[in-house]
Amino acid sequence: MTRVAYYPGCALKERSAHLERPALGAAEKLGFELDELDSWTCCGAVPPPSEERIMNLVAPIRILKDVRDTGDEVLVTICDFCYNSLKRANHRVSTSDLDRKRVNAFLRENQPKRDYLPSTEEDYRDYLGEVQVMHLLEYLRDVVGFEEIAQSRSTELSGLRLAPYYGCVMLRPEDEIGLDSVENPTIIEDFLVALGAETVAYPYRTVCCGSYLSVSFPESSARLCSNIISSAAEKGADAIVVSCPLCFYNLDSRQKMISELYPGTKSIPILYFTQVLGMAMDLDISDLGFDKHYVDPEPVVEKALGSLKGGGSR
Amino acid sequence: MTAKNTSQAPSEEMVPIFVMGERFDVPASLTIQKAMEYAGYQLIRGCGCRGGVCGACGTVYRTPGSYRLEVGLACQTVVQPGMYLTLLPFFPGNRAGYDITEMEGTGEEVAELYPEIFKCIGCNACTQSCPMDIDVMQYMARAIRGDVSGVAELSFDCIMCGLCASRCPAEEVQYNVAILCRRLHGRNLVPAADHLADAVESVEGGRFDEPLQELMDMEEKDLIKIYRDREAEPDNAEDDWVPEDRDYVVSRSERD
Repeated sequence: MTRVAYYPGCALKERSAHLERPALGAAEKLGFELDELDSWTCCGAVPPPSEERIMNLVAPIRILKDVRDTGDEVLVTICDFCYNSLKRANHRVSTSDLDRKRVNAFLRENQPKRDYLPSTEEDYRDYLGEVQVMHLLEYLRDVVGFEEIAQSRSTELSGLRLAPYYGCVMLRPEDEIGLDSVENPTIIEDFLVALGAETVAYPYRTVCCGSYLSVSFPESSARLCSNIISSAAEKGADAIVVSCPLCFYNLDSRQKMISELYPGTKSIPILYFTQVLGMAMDLDISDLGFDKHYVDPEPVVEKALGSLKGGGSR
Repeated sequence: MTAKNTSQAPSEEMVPIFVMGERFDVPASLTIQKAMEYAGYQLIRGCGCRGGVCGACGTVYRTPGSYRLEVGLACQTVVQPGMYLTLLPFFPGNRAGYDITEMEGTGEEVAELYPEIFKCIGCNACTQSCPMDIDVMQYMARAIRGDVSGVAELSFDCIMCGLCASRCPAEEVQYNVAILCRRLHGRNLVPAADHLADAVESVEGGRFDEPLQELMDMEEKDLIKIYRDREAEPDNAEDDWVPEDRDYVVSRSERD
């Protein structure tokens, strides 16, 4: 089985375990193994946009250097924030001589001397941006291939009407990420079509969910999310499909506040793309983490199961 | 602490050290702790087991010609010529209050008590500062992702000296996060140990009451004598060493 180095990110180990678990199972069914790094830290979590500072490069570049040192060329991650942090840090050391020198100088001296660690300051090799950071969706598109997924899926999710939601950090900034067009992306649509689902077009799929405003100004996030949710629901979506844990949190858990602030807003389940993949690959439903949702995805799951049984119930 | 130089005639090589800025010439083979006592300090705080396991004598030092701050335990680190040092007998790190009996052992509980763990920037200064060679940053990474047992296992050797916290730019209290996780792990996440319950039951059943009373009734000189004559575990004893007198030892066979 092909293996690819895999960086999960912190959210995927507890709060967003239902983003990771179906991905691992589906990958196995698709013939590759997401092989979690032996040791890893937070990716830095906050995207490293500042030109001046070096500390926000330290954690992501240490992770990428460890990946390179173990002989891997590709690192797959699932969380949009981790993807953004790792990919942009990689972009900075690849394109800026100064940043590359500064972060390597720091990491070289920063190696703790330990009997059980092989590397020392002397055999430190500068990290030059050698590792290719890939989002799992990107890996599925470019390495596995959506056609291949369409062939190997256990069943067609026909009848399911799913609204892709991209958020911000998976695609932006375009010149550093380069995963898809930021204004008119298609990767989630193409992915869902490959699974046999129907995609719903609506105007809010690339509009911000409020991101970390959810902490300081939850009402602002609730307002933005209510636009997204209402729009998708009006267009007849059964569920919104996301890949970012923060988008998931804002769109799912925030529906409590939305129902209070904007009475009459139709509630709609939010699904991780890996859960949709898991259903199409016939993973055990109890393994997909649907118990971690605020808005019960039961109706969508029922509908998907219905189509799994070949009928579709719409 | 008060200090005065001693005028004892040394028979071995002497090296200069600077304790909180003041120069002393001390025998080159001494540990920092013994060198300070040689120099006249009476250690009341910052000194405990003298064997490298209690964590009371964390020390920060620097050697001439290097900008790097080094750390170590005063009782374990041998003096180096020209070193500048200060003891860190106490570090005023935050310690959250909690009732362990009301906790379940989840990562979210740890995050609620110590929300600052998410400020970690991954600089690794904590790992570099650990005198016990613990991978501190990696156990904090596990705390951030909610893996309480992972923290407990990786931090097992921690002696709570606080040197990690003293170097942390994010003002975290790694050692207190770690001991919380070890307590939660031991209490909630691993199966209860039957032999421990048995031992507690046997103590509560009065197994040691009579011999304890005998000890309490003894004259001081007799106590000193039996203490001196006691059968002690020899240095470098094998793992399966057992004392001759096993009257009050809960033996393995008794447990099984």
